[in-house]
Amino acid sequence: MEKHLAEFEAAGVRPVAISVDPPDVSLNLANKEGYTFPVLSDPDAAVIRRYHILHPAGAPDEHDIARPAEFLVDSSKIVRWANFTEDIRVRARADEMLAAARKLH
Amino acid sequence: MPDANQGRSNTAPWWGLLFALASVGCNAAFFINAPLQGMVPWLSLLFAAVALVFLVMGLRLAIVHPKVYRRRVLSIIVAVIALLPAGLTVFAFVGTRKLPNADAAPQVGQKVPDFTLADTSGKPVSLDQLLAASTTQAQAPKAVLLIFYRGYW
Repeated sequence: MEKHLAEFEAAGVRPVAISVDPPDVSLNLANKEGYTFPVLSDPDAAVIRRYHILHPAGAPDEHDIARPAEFLVDSSKIVRWANFTEDIRVRARADEMLAAARKLH
Repeated sequence: MPDANQGRSNTAPWWGLLFALASVGCNAAFFINAPLQGMVPWLSLLFAAVALVFLVMGLRLAIVHPKVYRRRVLSIIVAVIALLPAGLTVFAFVGTRKLPNADAAPQVGQKVPDFTLADTSGKPVSLDQLLAASTTQAQAPKAVLLIFYRGYW
């Protein structure tokens, strides 16, 4: 993701990552991966629930987590592209997301 | 007891082992970020299915026709060992697809709910702020790409 950040920025798109991880865990991830885009924390999954993408007891320790999902949201907060994988191993690839980003006017 | 060096060779367990390992090896595609990843789980399931056919065949030959095929014990050991990766693939296929549907999630053309969440420094950030110009981006973005991920818990 970080590798393609300049391309997303050129397309006028700001990536934002969201999970139930608390800020310190997200900070470790961001440091490890060198992420410079925002990584946000939704520890009680309130926003994840509001987006209807909760995976109840989805973590190995039976924690509620987010199912993987990607939304391209324009400045009017309208979804312009979305991806909901059926297999946690298969995620949207950066090139797919960039193609969607470049279609925005 | 037939002579171990006589009789036909039973290659089915070895083919089974090969396909079983290939079914696990397919997962490397996710790490090298290969294209067409959507096909990989199905390809790995196909390899596991082929492996299971060979393994059942190999076991059958070794057990039902012990006098015809040599290296009976080795055949059985290889077949049993190969069951492990093949089974793992089937298990993973079921496990990684056990996801709730996203039918109620915001779809293309729909408006997303607002939110305010803490960033890595604990500072609250709202969707409005993300859509506005910032210190790092002088121009307001055309869009934000919200990437929800499972996390490390």
